[in-house]
Amino acid sequence: MDSAPGTVWRDMEGIHIDVRDLAPPDPMVGILSLIEQPDIDDHVIVHLDREPVFLYPELAERGWAHEVVTDNADEVRLLLTRM
Amino acid sequence: MALAATFLGGAKSRLLPASIPFRYFAAAALFHILAWLHFVLAGSEAAAFTGGPGIMLAAIHLLTLGVFVMTAMGAAFQLLPVATQRPLARIWPARACFWLLVPGTLVLVHGMETASTPLMHGGAVLVTASLLLFAMVIGFNLRIKNAMAVVAAHGWGALASLLVFVVLALALIADFDSGFLADHSATALAHMVLAAFGFMGMLAFGFSHVLIPMFALSRTFPPNIAWAQFWLASTAVVLGGYGAIGGNSTLLVLSVCFALAATTAYLWLMYRALSSGMRKRLGLSFVMIKASWAMLVICLLLGLALTFGFAVPNGSVLFGFLLIAGWLLTFLTGVLQRILPFLASMHATGKGGKPAMLSELTANLPLKIHAVCHCGAVLVCSAGIIAGSSNLIRGGATLGTAGALAFAIFVFLIVAKLRKPAI
Repeated sequence: MDSAPGTVWRDMEGIHIDVRDLAPPDPMVGILSLIEQPDIDDHVIVHLDREPVFLYPELAERGWAHEVVTDNADEVRLLLTRM
Repeated sequence: MALAATFLGGAKSRLLPASIPFRYFAAAALFHILAWLHFVLAGSEAAAFTGGPGIMLAAIHLLTLGVFVMTAMGAAFQLLPVATQRPLARIWPARACFWLLVPGTLVLVHGMETASTPLMHGGAVLVTASLLLFAMVIGFNLRIKNAMAVVAAHGWGALASLLVFVVLALALIADFDSGFLADHSATALAHMVLAAFGFMGMLAFGFSHVLIPMFALSRTFPPNIAWAQFWLASTAVVLGGYGAIGGNSTLLVLSVCFALAATTAYLWLMYRALSSGMRKRLGLSFVMIKASWAMLVICLLLGLALTFGFAVPNGSVLFGFLLIAGWLLTFLTGVLQRILPFLASMHATGKGGKPAMLSELTANLPLKIHAVCHCGAVLVCSAGIIAGSSNLIRGGATLGTAGALAFAIFVFLIVAKLRKPAI
């Protein structure tokens, strides 16, 4: 994950990835790199600055569902769940 | 779920209604068939084409306006609001562009076929109105500063080229009646350089900076190489335009050299994306895209040989064919077969709340038939042009028509799936 874009951390809520301020398609690459890790949790919280419309089909292909938990001018936050 | 619904509502507001982009793609699929049919009919006059009204000029504009511009408009109207995070201020221009471009192209190409200048004027007015409206909408959206500055720069380059090639096109049509141009052929060459390299080429290069890394799942490009490629390509277009209209062969040689340098930088960026990307199995679309890149290089090397005065049988026709059918059409169909299921999936997500699988939206058999027929068509037609054989050109164009039919089936199957509320 060292070379993958985005900042990853873990807290009480679970594993997070922040891909704000990255140019497309780096946010998508960072998120998909993270969920393709073999030991990744079943839930991932993603922090974005834009709607990731191209990400949704890629998530579906990989068996992940998404739910929006925050949507405001500064941040779109998604909860990804392995289906 | 309430939040999700709110978000998806917001998402849908940034997405145009699916009927808008897909009407462009469906129309482009039909114009694609018409274009190859016209090449079949052109047959004997294709290899010896030197410009002027006739079925060959009509065939070329069915491809450039009916397929390339049509697709570029549909893709730009749909993707730019998503990329810039700013919805189009009004939806009606996206509809108006379509309803100006379709009849405009039909009237214009019919005028070209029948050598009717009133029809050419009428069609050109409609097409020009569509192109200028498109330029205004896209220019307004590109003004918004975002992280994709190199892509935006390509967009500005394409719009600048559009304005010039439209003026040249109107002058060329007026010249059929009044003969006021000092050198009609030189103006036609400049029009082709600006339209094919300046407008469509810049769009192809610019969209590649986002789409190829997205397809391959690789990182964004190093900005210094990306900017170098943009400036090299821009210089090539400016030199090519001036060299063509002034009949200056030195400028034309320099233009091709800059274009080759830009292509080298571009292909290095593409190679970097493909070799470092997470997705290694890129499928049939990338066979087409890589073939298009090979044909771009062959086209430019042929252009260099021609500017140095090497005798290539029907070299200028072959150059134009490799440029339009070899590079641009192959690239476009390669990208479209990847992007159309994506766009359909974006709309399907908005409807059902659950994304449609890309694999459910793609029909592989028509794409395989298209790939075989299209590549065969380019090879056989190229051989026919070199040999001056109308039978080979007709045979190749018939293959191209079969490929275009298969591609249209692929497009209409996606449209049919999109219309199903179950997705």
